[in-house]
Amino acid sequence: MAGASMKDIKLRIKSVQSTMQITKAMELVASSKLRRAKERAESTRPYFATLRQALEDIAQSNTDFSSPFVQPGEVGRACYVVIAGDRGLAGGYNNNLFKAVWEHMDGQDAAQRPCVLPIGKKAVELCQRRGMESLSDAYASVEALSLRDCFSIAKLLCEKFRQGAFDALYVGYTKFVSMLSQQPDVAKVLPIRHERQPSQKAQSLIEYEPGAAAVYNAIVPEYVGGVLWGAVAESLASELGARRTAMDAASKNAGEMIEDLSLKYNRARQGAITQEITEIVAGAEA
Amino acid sequence: MTFHLQIVTPDGGFYDGEAEKLIVRAKGGDVCILPRHAPYVTALGIGEATVVLPGDQRRRAACAGGMLSVTGEDVRLVATTFEWAEDIDKARAQKAEEKARRKIQDARDNVELEMAKAKLYRALTRQKAAQ
Repeated sequence: MAGASMKDIKLRIKSVQSTMQITKAMELVASSKLRRAKERAESTRPYFATLRQALEDIAQSNTDFSSPFVQPGEVGRACYVVIAGDRGLAGGYNNNLFKAVWEHMDGQDAAQRPCVLPIGKKAVELCQRRGMESLSDAYASVEALSLRDCFSIAKLLCEKFRQGAFDALYVGYTKFVSMLSQQPDVAKVLPIRHERQPSQKAQSLIEYEPGAAAVYNAIVPEYVGGVLWGAVAESLASELGARRTAMDAASKNAGEMIEDLSLKYNRARQGAITQEITEIVAGAEA
Repeated sequence: MTFHLQIVTPDGGFYDGEAEKLIVRAKGGDVCILPRHAPYVTALGIGEATVVLPGDQRRRAACAGGMLSVTGEDVRLVATTFEWAEDIDKARAQKAEEKARRKIQDARDNVELEMAKAKLYRALTRQKAAQ
């Protein structure tokens, strides 16, 4: 009995060790990629903030201006851009995001079922499984998504928005709070809110060329593209952060398991030796 | 006299500091911003940009898409792409030009043609700015 169980334990240790090697390697890969992704996420923030500020300034200082992008429509349908990862093994990264998005969808009392634009393999797969209407399944890789892709997505979304396919655009992504903490979030992109604040000091008159509405309509697709690009950068950094944490925990667990199994193995070995000695002694006495 | 100029792109900030003059290609043509310009907003086209820094130091760049906003003493150039002339890879721009020219000939519909034309224009602008 002792021999067989010793062999079993040894096999187990070997398999845990090889798993640990994989999780360690994945952790290293994730942390080296994470640094770059984090820098990228941080470098997009000023662009995005400036663009948003400028749009709000225009919307606020103008009283007699109408753009399809500021008025809430009457279609009663929302569109979600869902940015998830390409693969799993990142702890609860994908699941947490989907949960946040579904909760947000359920919280809306929209007249029609929302449509989605999934980004990332996991998001594309899940939306297909759920049978949601998808605007495009072409963006199945977050890591390979370029700035140009973001702008073409934005163009597509703005066109659909103007045609009235949906009247609200949300983006579901994961905010990169720190190396250890990532927060799933659903942010509203369109229509752009503009709450007029009467208490503010008188706005200076801004000159628009060729016209306020024209400028606005030219800039909004850029803005949506910028938002997507920023959200993708944040999500990517979050995914790598989540994967690093998950893999770190997995490696630690594997280490603990190996320790535990080694102890069991040594005990079994000792038991076998003791038994042998007892048998020899008993034989000699006879 | 100078104004505060901020140039940002999705890839990060490019410039944040004082400038004497800024010339960019807007949708309707070139515009020049000098200190104490009236509040002004416009969408950008594809073209060369020139920034004159204090001390009459000129820097040229290729700039495409985005917007220019002037509010009080702050000038923000929010570009989709922005490259200083010295950072432009001339060989790559030339290749892009050839590729775009081929695409124009092979274009099957108007959308493809327009896209190829825009590509060609960008490539030419970059080459011009790099000279």
